[in-house]
Amino acid sequence: MKSAKKLFLLVAVAAMAAGWFTLNESTRRYIVHLAKQVPSLPYRYFV
Amino acid sequence: MSDYDAIIIGAGLGGLSTGSIIAKNGMKVLVLEQSDIIGGCCSTFENQGYKFDVGASIVELIRPLEILFEKMGKDIKDYVDLIPCDPIYSFITPEGKRFKIPTDIDATNEVVKAMAPEDYENWLKFEEFGMWLLHYGLDAMICADMSTFSSALKVVAKYPKVYKMLPTLAMNHEMAVKKAFSNKDLLSSVSFQSFFAGAPPFLGSGVFGMIALSEHLGIYYPRGGMKGIPDGIMKAGQESGMEVRTNTKVERILLEGRDAKGVVLDDGTEITSDIVVSNVNGKVTYLKMIGPDALPKWAFKGVTSYMNSMPCPMLYVGLDTKPNLNAHHTIVTGSVEFMNEVWTKYYTQGLIPENAMSLICWPTEADPSLAPEGHHVLNWICNAPAPYSPLGDNWDRIKDWYKEQGLKELEKYVLPDARDHVTLIDVSTPLDFERRLLHPEGGIYGLFSDLTSLAMFRMSNKSRAIKDLYLSGASTHFGGGVPTSVASGITTADIIMKDHG
Repeated sequence: MKSAKKLFLLVAVAAMAAGWFTLNESTRRYIVHLAKQVPSLPYRYFV
Repeated sequence: MSDYDAIIIGAGLGGLSTGSIIAKNGMKVLVLEQSDIIGGCCSTFENQGYKFDVGASIVELIRPLEILFEKMGKDIKDYVDLIPCDPIYSFITPEGKRFKIPTDIDATNEVVKAMAPEDYENWLKFEEFGMWLLHYGLDAMICADMSTFSSALKVVAKYPKVYKMLPTLAMNHEMAVKKAFSNKDLLSSVSFQSFFAGAPPFLGSGVFGMIALSEHLGIYYPRGGMKGIPDGIMKAGQESGMEVRTNTKVERILLEGRDAKGVVLDDGTEITSDIVVSNVNGKVTYLKMIGPDALPKWAFKGVTSYMNSMPCPMLYVGLDTKPNLNAHHTIVTGSVEFMNEVWTKYYTQGLIPENAMSLICWPTEADPSLAPEGHHVLNWICNAPAPYSPLGDNWDRIKDWYKEQGLKELEKYVLPDARDHVTLIDVSTPLDFERRLLHPEGGIYGLFSDLTSLAMFRMSNKSRAIKDLYLSGASTHFGGGVPTSVASGITTADIIMKDHG
């Protein structure tokens, strides 16, 4: 069971990495920008 | 017993809108404005016989204004004289190609057909979806409180089809338009509007792509200058007893624990009230008028996490001749990639590009009374966006250099012999906007507008950190721009009436 989980995780990471490299630069920068803001969201929600 | 039911800090559009509605509903309201003129960014000042608009240059999506006056039981036509402008804008490409975008959507379809026949079918689909989104989405959301998950869910429950806009909301502006079009000029003409929301096409949400279509619902210029809008709202509010004091600067918000109890003016005078509404930028409200020590830790982290929106220096030009323009707005810009590069290679590096995007506004086309007879006024955002802190320099020192850049652009695009006809040229730099309008770093749209700072993630109209404190204006939900600032004021008023009415 544990190894199946690991395999699933590995496949998911590989798929995400492959997907990432198919994105154009503008989309990547957009996603990176949003990702950087995500940690602030819980705090923003309470202002 | 408090002196007032509500004190509004700042006579910008949001503050005046909130004040007018709650005054109409029987509250005793005092509006305090630090400047000698009302309206904030949507205002007009006079210099040597010319009337210049401070920042905002047009109003589109007038529905929030209509709702505001309806809520006061009045007709907007009795208070604000809006002149329709057609065409929406004229567009100049770097290659010198010029085309006009008419207000009439069918006429625009013909322009697109001639400019980009390969994209025409997709244009029609883009237009159909955009117009649906504008009508349905506007009805659903423009004045709705979506500052919490539960309030946002209520909106979705009432307007279930809003889910259709989610993909557009999630993708960036550039993706939204590139998905539909390939023609370079057409792409540019539907991309620059992302800057109207304060972000380049690769950072703004795809819904900003609909701004290009929203203007087809009509764009208007108030007779006498943009100040006509706040003047009209103030007049309507005063008829309901709202009191407005200009040249009155609020130093801080009076607190009892974490409960707003009024304000302290810069001369030390204390005025008490049951509630306080701040129309000043949210960061200034929380960090300066309340202070970090009075804020809960999580609120301080939240407030300081917001990015400011971009600043835009503004040139004010008086001419003794008619400019070679054919629309209220003229846009000079390049490709989508160029717009993104200006942001990443120049703006974020503290550099001012010498050939970026310009927005030339010619208000005397709509209202000749803004200048002496035969003269004209231009309000000009030249080579935007420009950084708040130019690398190794400051705006007070480079004012004249920036005016010279404006003159060069004027010669290139508007009048070859411009220097013989310019009777006056002045500039508001990001520093000036920060000082006069209390916009941190001169950010004219309040806070930066991306997906992570919209709706419930933007500063709430009802403060969660300080009891009896409410916020309106550009830094709040909805915020940024004339219709949205008015909408933010309406939303705030609705919440106040629910809490205290």
